[in-house]
Amino acid sequence: MKNKNFYAITFLTFACIFGIVVSCDKEVELSENLTPLQPTSLDEDAASWTSIDPSVITTEKIVNIVENSTPKVFNPPADIASDAYKAELAAIKDAQSKLTKEQKDIIEYWSGGGVLRWNQILRGLVAQFNLPPAPKADGTYPAPDAENPFADPNFPFANPPYAARAYSYVSAAQYEALKAAWHYIYQYNRLSPYKNDPGIQSLMPETNLPSYPSSDAVLSGVSAEMLKLLFPAAVEEITMKAAEQRNAALWSGKASSSDIAAGLALGKSVAALFVTRARGDGMGASIGNKALWQSLEDGAKAKGETPWISLETPKRPPMLPVFGKVKAWCMTPDQITAGRPLPPPLTSSAEMQKEVDEVKWYSDNMTRERLAIIHKWADGAGTYTPPGHWNDIAAEYIRDANYSEVRAARAFALLNMALHDAAVCCWETKFYYFNPRPSQMNASIKTGTGVPNFPAFTSGHSTFSGSGSTVLSYLFPEATDYFEAEANEASASRLYAGIHYRSDVEVGLEQGKNVGGFTVAFAQTDGAD
Amino acid sequence: MKKIYLLLLGFIPTLSFAQTLTDGLMMPKKNICTGFMYMHDRWTDYWEGELKRDNGNIGHVTTQSLMWMGNYGITNKINVIATVPYVKTRASAGTLHGMEGLQDLSVGVKYNFFRKKFEKSAFSTFAVFNFTTPLSDYTPDFFPLALGTHTTNLTYRLTAHFKIEQGWFVNASGGYTWRSNTTLDRPSYHDGNEFVNSDEVKMPNMFDVFVSMGYHKGQLQAELNYIQQNTLGGGDIRRQDMPFVSNRMNMIKTGALVMFYLPKPQGLALRGSAHYTLAGRNAGQATTLMAGVLYTFKFYKNQ
Repeated sequence: MKNKNFYAITFLTFACIFGIVVSCDKEVELSENLTPLQPTSLDEDAASWTSIDPSVITTEKIVNIVENSTPKVFNPPADIASDAYKAELAAIKDAQSKLTKEQKDIIEYWSGGGVLRWNQILRGLVAQFNLPPAPKADGTYPAPDAENPFADPNFPFANPPYAARAYSYVSAAQYEALKAAWHYIYQYNRLSPYKNDPGIQSLMPETNLPSYPSSDAVLSGVSAEMLKLLFPAAVEEITMKAAEQRNAALWSGKASSSDIAAGLALGKSVAALFVTRARGDGMGASIGNKALWQSLEDGAKAKGETPWISLETPKRPPMLPVFGKVKAWCMTPDQITAGRPLPPPLTSSAEMQKEVDEVKWYSDNMTRERLAIIHKWADGAGTYTPPGHWNDIAAEYIRDANYSEVRAARAFALLNMALHDAAVCCWETKFYYFNPRPSQMNASIKTGTGVPNFPAFTSGHSTFSGSGSTVLSYLFPEATDYFEAEANEASASRLYAGIHYRSDVEVGLEQGKNVGGFTVAFAQTDGAD
Repeated sequence: MKKIYLLLLGFIPTLSFAQTLTDGLMMPKKNICTGFMYMHDRWTDYWEGELKRDNGNIGHVTTQSLMWMGNYGITNKINVIATVPYVKTRASAGTLHGMEGLQDLSVGVKYNFFRKKFEKSAFSTFAVFNFTTPLSDYTPDFFPLALGTHTTNLTYRLTAHFKIEQGWFVNASGGYTWRSNTTLDRPSYHDGNEFVNSDEVKMPNMFDVFVSMGYHKGQLQAELNYIQQNTLGGGDIRRQDMPFVSNRMNMIKTGALVMFYLPKPQGLALRGSAHYTLAGRNAGQATTLMAGVLYTFKFYKNQ
């Protein structure tokens, strides 16, 4: 009965493997875990740091709004000996005595740092909304409508320029809101509930940061208001996250209900100033219209050039052709046009033919190694875009630096203002030259990722990466080599993918570094170093 | 009588029809059947979630594969079936680069653990354990042109087969597939449900049903079949997005299969099939044609 043994062994083997399989954990390992934030410095002087845009906000301007509005945005805090404040403390003790698992998880989540958390949330929103409209049956494309954001297509189409601008508005507004909070925090010096009552536990790392107004509530208010403007169809997620952040501050003993009410009101007031800027920055006109799209093509032809043509079927109008006129953060319109790179090779030139041939070679010789680089940096539709990738890179450095919330906000604001300015400069260049993509010049060029629907020169990835690595190298000079290597790789990935010529990526990288230089020049004198 | 019984189960030496993990047929002991099959699969329309559409930026997506297969009878009741496919994909429109390379090795053990003979019919059941794993480092992050999911899969399958003396049969099989997670070349992704900060993708398991009925006698096997495959989780393709490796890919296919042994040379068989996707979710409406040549070697002299 040799066979019987054999069957028994076979079945045993089956059973063992089945056991291994069902016990195997499929939970994915996340790459950006945040630990409870314990800042090394509180940056008490942050309110005095230079405004990133004095036409939008200065300390005087926000103080004037807070104190001279009717009614006031918030009043000075009640004394800690007052009955009103004691009642707030009692409410915290009561809440802490019956915290659920879910509430504890919310506290833990937000203890990782509000600025970092909102940056993660923002990257998720960009990835969620970065989808181009689907064509209609008649071959045209519907435009996303801010007044009807839940329709198909959703509003917005968070493409790279839109995303760059969104990251910059959220980060800049958060930074200025926290600076305003710091102004009042140190003016009123009312400490956190856990400092005022030994019966209240500190469920987040304890600091000496005063809490009127609550900086967490400031962040929740400013972030939610900016995000509701930029991603109106995500209103539910946004408002729930914002409420969670305020609850976490309350439940953890960091802030009382009046700290939070004041913070929320201040955050919203700062957001309103940035919303006003956003409504007037030229974004609304950046999509252009049929006549403008035609004029771009006619203009290139008049110069004797082969104009860019959409490679999509049906042909899609170019992505945000007038984004180059959107207001930048650290550059004037004159600086933008003055910084425009010299033209790429003429489309009919032998030099251009050489560039096309080089792209064709990469297309025909797409090794697995290069494909991995292409996909690492593709950051195309459905992703958080190249600006999001640079936020992803920055987040771990900012986390590990143990910055105060206001300094973390400054870091993201600098990075994202540079990335926005890179988008403006790059788009200005793209639609000035209106240069075709390699696959338009040679239809046999196959690509390792989707061909973006806008002209080639200069490469957006390269410009973003040049500006991002320049700002991060200023913030974290010890990692300069790493940031530059990443930028070079991101830039080269577009040539490897067959979607850009060498001149697009090399000139784009330089252009990005120049743009980043404007932001760094501002940062070096803002009083924070 | 014994001979009839063997015939019913497809046990006649040198005329084996047992080629797949889902059929109720076995190779006799120490016989090996091996050969190559060519598959051509093409779709134009696909289901974006549950919305059926086409896409001018990909046109028709064609997947061709050349697959070596071998089936060895360890005993009359235990077979080992292995396949190695080389796959090539191409989109007829747009600019996306096709992919090609060795895909996944599949090794399965089929065990005929029960058989019951009646007067003029026979019933048997089979347990199958199948293991697949990638043979090359192809990317799983380029659907619809990726060669596969780049996962290691384990499938448990039960099959029942009933056949009458005249040669008519019905066959039913159900499989549950555990899939390992897969890894992308990028640090984050949106899987259709949520945004994830990781290069690792959680892969839902799968379930499939295979039902066939047909005729199998002498040199000929002919059947009609129904195949349903469901992914037990995963997100839908978002509006106008690319497909993603962990999407909930479901499909119902129907088709026909014919296999017959040539009179000469003895042991040489031709196999062909055609399938069409009737319904799907996050999958293409494919027409799949397959043709193969197989040869059976006999190392053991049956009685």
